[in-house]
Amino acid sequence: MKVLPSLRGVEAEPVSARKNAAAMIEIDRVSQVFRTSGRQDHLALSEISLSIEDGAFVSILGPSGCGKSTLLYIVGGFVNPTDGTARMKGKAITGPGPDRGPVFQEFALFPWKSVLGNVMYGPRQQGVKSADAEAQSRALIEMVGLKGFENFYPKELSGGMKQRVALARTLAYHPAVLLMDEPFGALDAHTRTRLQNDLLNIWERDRKTVLFVTHSVDEAVFLSDKVVVMTRAPGRIKQIVDIDLPRPRRRAELLLDPRYQKYVVDIERMIDDTSENQLP
Amino acid sequence: MISARTLLSRSAPLLACLGLLGIWQVAALILNTDSFPTAWQAICAIPSILGDKESLINILASLRRMAIGFSAAVVVSIPLGLMMGRSRAVASFFNPLLMVTYPVPKAALMPIIMLWLGVGDLAKMLVIFLGVSLPVIYHSLQGAKAVEEKMLWSGAAMGLSAAQRMIRIVLPAALPEILTGCRTGLVLALITMVTSEMIARQSGAGNILFNSLDMGQYDTVYAMIIIIGAMGIGLDAAFERLRARLVKWSEPSFEIPLSFA
Repeated sequence: MKVLPSLRGVEAEPVSARKNAAAMIEIDRVSQVFRTSGRQDHLALSEISLSIEDGAFVSILGPSGCGKSTLLYIVGGFVNPTDGTARMKGKAITGPGPDRGPVFQEFALFPWKSVLGNVMYGPRQQGVKSADAEAQSRALIEMVGLKGFENFYPKELSGGMKQRVALARTLAYHPAVLLMDEPFGALDAHTRTRLQNDLLNIWERDRKTVLFVTHSVDEAVFLSDKVVVMTRAPGRIKQIVDIDLPRPRRRAELLLDPRYQKYVVDIERMIDDTSENQLP
Repeated sequence: MISARTLLSRSAPLLACLGLLGIWQVAALILNTDSFPTAWQAICAIPSILGDKESLINILASLRRMAIGFSAAVVVSIPLGLMMGRSRAVASFFNPLLMVTYPVPKAALMPIIMLWLGVGDLAKMLVIFLGVSLPVIYHSLQGAKAVEEKMLWSGAAMGLSAAQRMIRIVLPAALPEILTGCRTGLVLALITMVTSEMIARQSGAGNILFNSLDMGQYDTVYAMIIIIGAMGIGLDAAFERLRARLVKWSEPSFEIPLSFA
C-alpha cells in the first residue's frame, strides 16, 4: 500500500491529543460473512479494526459493496459480526440501544405518526413526561428548520424534510453516538448541500461522536475529522486520513481552500486505485 | 356550492344501481316468466318482509352470527398473520394448513361441521369464522412482511423490545394492508352467512330466501336478494369510512370513489 506523502494519517498513528481522547467506539478485528443460498459465502468485511474517539466526526468512505454500511450496522447492534467484537465505551455491543442513534438513507420514519409524533417517540419510550417530550421535540423540530410542520404526516414531506425529521427524531433521545448511513444519498444535489451545512451547524454545537457512511468524497472531507477509506469487497481499511481543516467550516471558503482540494483529489485517487486493483 | 362534476361523481354509484335496476326491469318484461319478477315487483315485496316481525328477527339473527364470526376471525387472524409475516418458523408451520383450507369452499365444510356442532348458531359462526380468516391472515402477513427493516431498527434503537416492536411498529405499519383484508373478509362473511343458512335452514336471511324459493314466491326471493345486497353495500360503506379514518396517514392525496363512503 502506497502512502501518499502529503497525507499524515495512517492506521498506526497514535490517537491525537484531543481533550476527550478516550475511545468511544472500538472495532476489534471484525469480519462479516454473508451466507448466500447456493452460491459461495460472501465475505463483506475482513478483520476491520478501528478506534473512534469521543466527539470525533468520522466518515467511512468506499466503493459500493465494500461493506461500509454493514460496519455501521454492527456498531448499531443491528447485525452481529461473524467474527471479532465491537465495543462502546469498553463494553461489547450485543444489540441496538438508545446510546447509538441511527439515521438511515431510507429515513424509516413512522408514517402513521406526525412529525411531532415521530420526534417524540424516542423520549416517550425513555419515560420522559409527555409535556416535556413535546417541548423538547418542538425545539428540535425548530432546530432542523421544520417549524410549522409539526402536524404534517411524513407522506406530505419532501425527501430532504423527511431526513430532517429523521435527524431530529434520533437527536431527541440523546444518543452518545450518531450512526448515519448514507443519510443524504437519496437527495438531490441542492438539498444534499443544504443538509450537509445544517448537519455541520448542529454538530458543531455539541460535538457528538458521529460515524458517517458515504460514497461521496466531497461530503466526507467537508464534514469529517477523519476519513476511513475502504477497499472493495472484501472490505478492508485502506487508509485513515486525518482532515486537518479549521472549524467551523464554511462551504464557500473550503471550496477555495487548496488543502481541501488536495484532500479530495488524493482520496479520489486512493479510491480509483482500490477499484482497479480489486477488479477480477 | 357543489360543482356539477362533484355532484356527478358523488351520485355515480347511485346512478349505477338505478341503471342495474332498469336493465333488470326491461329484461324481466321481455322474458316475461313467473320465476323472474320485475325489479319493481321485487322492490314492492321489500316492505312486507321488513314489516314482518318474524322476518326481522331472522335477519337480525343472521347479522348477529355474522358479527360474532367476523369479530372472532379478525381477533385471531391479525396476530397470527402478523407473526407469520415476521417469523419464518411460524409461517412454515401454518402455511401448509392454510394452503389446504384455502381452495375449499367454506360452505362445503358446513355438512361436516354440522355433524360436530349441530345445525345451530355455533356451526354457522364457525363457517363464517373460517371464511373471514383466510383473507385477513393473508393480508396481515403481507403487511407485516412489507414493514421496512430500518423502521424496526429505529424502534429497537429507541429501546423497544421485540414484543413492543410487533405491537407498536409492525401493527400500525401493516394496518392499511390489514384493513384491506378485513374489508374482503366482511364481504366473505356476508356470503358465507347466506350459504351457511342455505345448507342449515333454521333461521336467518338465507333461510327466508331459500324457503320462498322452494315455495315459488319469486318476488320475495328477489326482494331478499336486494335486501342482502343492500346490507353488503351498507356494511362495506360503513367499514370503508372507518378504514379511511384509521389510515388517513397512508392515503394518496387524490381519491377514487370506490364505494359510497
